[in-house]
Amino acid sequence: MLLASLSRWTMSYFAAALAFLIAAEVLAVAGLGYPAAGLTEPATLILVHLVAIGWLSLAMAGALLQFVPVLVSRPLAFPHLALPALAALVAGLFLLCSGFAVLAGWFDGPLDLLPLAAATLLIGFALLGLMLLATLLSARPVGLFSRFILIGLACLAATALSGSAFAAILSGRGGWLDALSLLPDGLPFHALLGFGGWLGLIAFGTSYRLLVMFMLAPDPAPHRVRTVLVSAGLALGLGFSGLVAPLAGLQPGGAFITTALSVLALASAFYGRDILALYRTRRRKALEINMLASIPAFASLGLGIALLPVAIAAGAGEGIVAALAFLLAFGWLGGLTLAQLVKIVSFMTWLGTYASRLGRGPAPRVGDLVAMPRTGWWFLFYYAGVALGVTMLAGGFATGFRWAMLSCLVGTAGIVTELVRVRLLSEIRVGDRPPVHERPRLLLARADERSSSHADHRRVASPRA
Amino acid sequence: MPTTDALPARELDVRPMLRAGEEPFQAIMDAVSALAPGQCLRLIAPFRPVPLFSVMANRGFAANDRDLGGGDWEVIFSPLATDAESEEVAIGSSSSAVFWGAPIQELDLCDLEPPEPMVRILETLEELQQGDVLFALLAREPVFLFPELAKRQHEWAGNFDASGTTYRLLIRHGGSEGH
Repeated sequence: MLLASLSRWTMSYFAAALAFLIAAEVLAVAGLGYPAAGLTEPATLILVHLVAIGWLSLAMAGALLQFVPVLVSRPLAFPHLALPALAALVAGLFLLCSGFAVLAGWFDGPLDLLPLAAATLLIGFALLGLMLLATLLSARPVGLFSRFILIGLACLAATALSGSAFAAILSGRGGWLDALSLLPDGLPFHALLGFGGWLGLIAFGTSYRLLVMFMLAPDPAPHRVRTVLVSAGLALGLGFSGLVAPLAGLQPGGAFITTALSVLALASAFYGRDILALYRTRRRKALEINMLASIPAFASLGLGIALLPVAIAAGAGEGIVAALAFLLAFGWLGGLTLAQLVKIVSFMTWLGTYASRLGRGPAPRVGDLVAMPRTGWWFLFYYAGVALGVTMLAGGFATGFRWAMLSCLVGTAGIVTELVRVRLLSEIRVGDRPPVHERPRLLLARADERSSSHADHRRVASPRA
Repeated sequence: MPTTDALPARELDVRPMLRAGEEPFQAIMDAVSALAPGQCLRLIAPFRPVPLFSVMANRGFAANDRDLGGGDWEVIFSPLATDAESEEVAIGSSSSAVFWGAPIQELDLCDLEPPEPMVRILETLEELQQGDVLFALLAREPVFLFPELAKRQHEWAGNFDASGTTYRLLIRHGGSEGH
């Protein structure tokens, strides 16, 4: 394919995502949300959604806008929707947090902020879904990789729609939904589909493709990947059934969520086996920082998803469940995202800056853009904070958890600084940097300098040579 | 696909083979090899043969499947390549590649981590003259290389080999002023 250009707005998605992560960590350090507040209290909901939508979803969206076209060898459909989608998601999240703040009684505002937030977020996710769906379906046959993303997008739709229903009920505008009594029974399923489906399953699917590339490992056998897809799909299908069961007048009990989580744990075990095989069979022996820093993330997944159904089935306290959920969100999804961001940002920066100079003069390697071992130290701070945070949550130590989050914050701030330095080419000697007008811009790809997709289309339509 | 309508599809029913406990993959591949240019393959199987779709996609066939009921599926594989002379090549490939001369340089880049293959190919091209042809073997499709080749006005044609593990790339120097 000819059109693998840089996704113009991906860096802006990443910047917004990292800003929301830092905001969530600052609030947690300040003592906002669980364990000082209850698990389903507004203060906790603000933190959870800053992490789920602001940090993880925006980072995932930015990465998908860059890599889905590359991995299915088709140009991104409707690329001009990327910025409106980002704007809607950011605005929707601000409205949502304001709505929760009203609910908490922090300021006097209309509760209608909540359904307004839900509508704005729905628009943002729908635009994003449209771009990705149209891109995935333009490539036939629909491959295994695409199926991971398609199921993930279906989970996103279910999560966003159920969240909107909750928002309507919380604002008192859900009278027409009362018969469904979705709250609070639907909440665990809403979280399962969001974290396990949209974020988790797509992380599974994309990591298969990207890890093979990053480590020069042979592709895993399709039947093994399919086993992961089918078992995870089954778990998420159970989650979806649990979510809509009240519509049929059924009350899914605790056993239902336990079953769904157990099947997801099984899928994760299959996935972990494949990832281990990729690490073992890699031809590139030295591990780069992104692959080293992903190891604690995979360990967090293994530990968290294995213990979570056990904890729920055994009726463990709220603290244990919160600790395991925190481990999955910050250790597995957050850790993996931070680690791969280092690689994605440095690669996109390298490509945008040096592609046109390759072969015509000296060019650094991608890895030369990243400051090592300093970047590795920031990951140590981050993961140490995660490990400590899990312990403190499990033990119910609110102050200890704030200290743990401070460690996460220091690590995150360090990684963000390193990413900014990658964009500024700070690791390249001043004399060796390209002239100012050819350097990367911080927040967007130089679509004007690189052949834009429009220019590429023209080239395809009327080949010159 | 102007010739598709002219030729009747070749038929292959693998149900008896599977009932007899035989592996039909080789028979399918033999049937594919025996197809005339532009001819379709009509496959009948007792299940939806999803794995075959990607195998056939790599060989340049689109799959169109239909549930026949009773668990049986009909799949029509139709060739995507419009040029019967060339093997199926990636989108964006130059259609004149069959007329290019023999490569004057060959690179085996299968063991290099991306984006190193891209760097090596662009470096090598800078040393070649207009009209020179370069052949490279890669572990993956170099998707980020293609826009750069187009910008430098080089022509290329590429595809995966039959096993789907090695990407073969032929590039003809287009003669943009190098240095």
